[in-house]
Order: sequence, then C-alpha cells, then structure tokens
Amino acid sequence: MLEARFESALAQRSAPENIYIDMREISERGMIDLRGQTSDRKFTAAARAVLGTDLPKEPRTSATWGDAKILWLSPDQWLITCPRGKAQDLTNALVKELGDTHSLAINVSDMRAIIRLEGEFAREVVMKGSTLDLTDGDYTPGTVRRMRFAEIAALLHIVEEKTIDIYVFRSYAHYAWDFLVKAARKGSEVRLFPNSG
Amino acid sequence: MLVVTCPVCGAKGDETDFHYGGQAHIRRPATHDPVNISDEEQRDYLFIRNNPKGLHFERWRCDRGCGKWFHAARDTQSLEFKAFYGIIELPPEELQKEAKGPWADYFKKRAKAKA
Repeated sequence: MLEARFESALAQRSAPENIYIDMREISERGMIDLRGQTSDRKFTAAARAVLGTDLPKEPRTSATWGDAKILWLSPDQWLITCPRGKAQDLTNALVKELGDTHSLAINVSDMRAIIRLEGEFAREVVMKGSTLDLTDGDYTPGTVRRMRFAEIAALLHIVEEKTIDIYVFRSYAHYAWDFLVKAARKGSEVRLFPNSG
Repeated sequence: MLVVTCPVCGAKGDETDFHYGGQAHIRRPATHDPVNISDEEQRDYLFIRNNPKGLHFERWRCDRGCGKWFHAARDTQSLEFKAFYGIIELPPEELQKEAKGPWADYFKKRAKAKA
C-alpha cells in the first residue's frame, strides 16, 4: 500500500532567472489555527502556558517565541506557525490545555502555501497586486494582515524590511506564484516609491 | 473610490478590501411579535429598502481584513463617510438626529427602549 506523503504545493516550481526579486516557497512550516475570546482568561492563560508568550492582541501584529510565530488574524483568531514536524504535537498540547473553554485549535499545516519574497523591490511587487500602500510607515517588520492580493484572499507577513511572506490557500498557490513571476519580471520595475529602491 | 476604515481592527483600505452588506438597522418584525405579523410587514422587512439622497446607514464587512461586520453612515450624494461604528452600536447622536425615514423611527424606538 502506498503511504500518504506530503508534497508542498509548489514543489514542482522554481523561480525563473528573469525576475528582479528572490522568490521561493517555504514548505517546512506547520500552521495551527487558534480561535477563542481574549476576554476569557482561561483561554488566554492556556494559550500562554503552551505557547510561552501572550497572544498578540493588537491588530495586525505578531509575536515570536522560540521557533514558533503567532500571527494576529482577527480579534478572535490567530495563526501559529512552527516547524512542520512539531505542528501536531503543539496542536495536541493546545487542545489539552484549552480543555472545555470555548475555543478551537486545529492543525491546518496543509491548508496554505507560503511564498517568500526577498529583495529591494519585494514590497513593490506585492503592491502590484493589492491596494495596500506598503511604503507607508505602518508596515514595519512583524506586521501581519489579510489582504486582497491579485483578486484572491491572502495573508501578508512582513518578516523583515525586505523580506515578505505571502500565505495563500493551497489551491491558489500556482496562480499566486504565476502572478508574482509575471509581476516581478525584469524590466517591469516601477521605482516610483521612495522606499522601493 | 471609497476609503473605508474598519472600527474593529482599524484597517484602512479601499472599498474592494471590504464588502457592502446592505441597509443597516432594519427591524425584523417576527423577532418582536411572531404571532401578529402581517404579510405587509414581512414584505417590507424582506424587500423594501430606503434609497435616500443624503445620509444612509449601511452595513459593511472587513472582508479581506479581520472578517468582522460593522456599520457605516455615508452620504450618498458626496460619498463621504460620516462615521464607522460597531455592529451592535447605534450611530453617534448627531447623526441619529439627522436621520430620516425608517431610520429616524428606529433610532427613536431604540432610545425609548433604553430609557
């Protein structure tokens, strides 16, 4: 019998030569969806006990603890990313600690694909597909927000000044990848924005 | 292009990042008196909407942001947003006073219920 084996959404793709940013898929991260009310002390205490840090409560922020990252998605929803191998153990620990509080923790590691963009023009390339102004001072490293990107739902994570992760649903991974490859084609630099180089 | 600000998460963006959810503050008659509801009342509740020139109260969703619903007051003539407020809240007092048509009655009823 064949065993189920994980293959990342973009395993067959590699970035072409003729683009002006660095692009690659991050397939080694596991993801956990966590929902609950921050007004419920039992919930926040349980999350803290397992994750080692408080859940970020400020909109569009993230927190890091060791090799895990907690991304704010909405006032009652967070996405926890950690090494893929640890995701199930961490989910189990969360479920156990949360007990019967009104909450949800579920392993969604295979739900989304992560595309990492690096380079001087990473922000500019993302801006070609969205209405956000990423040259605005609000988008500092650590910022997380969902957005409409190239007409699809995506999650934006500013990892560092010139490093951006885009999370899209797995079934959209090829589309998002192709869009980015086209948007980042050499010679199509806009260079209109002061921060984009 | 409308520029919307979500009162829940503070995200500011253009209207394509949000989703319009129709007229706000509609009273569902069956919630208040399920036995004596008339066909006319139910018809008005389901289908009849206000289409004013001027102040309009409406629902929006932070579609590509935090995903939450909220309210907005907008001028349909100048397209200017007058206020954004929570989904279980009423608009600021001065806008309640400006409200016309079904909204005026609705706000008065809510104020009475509160008092």
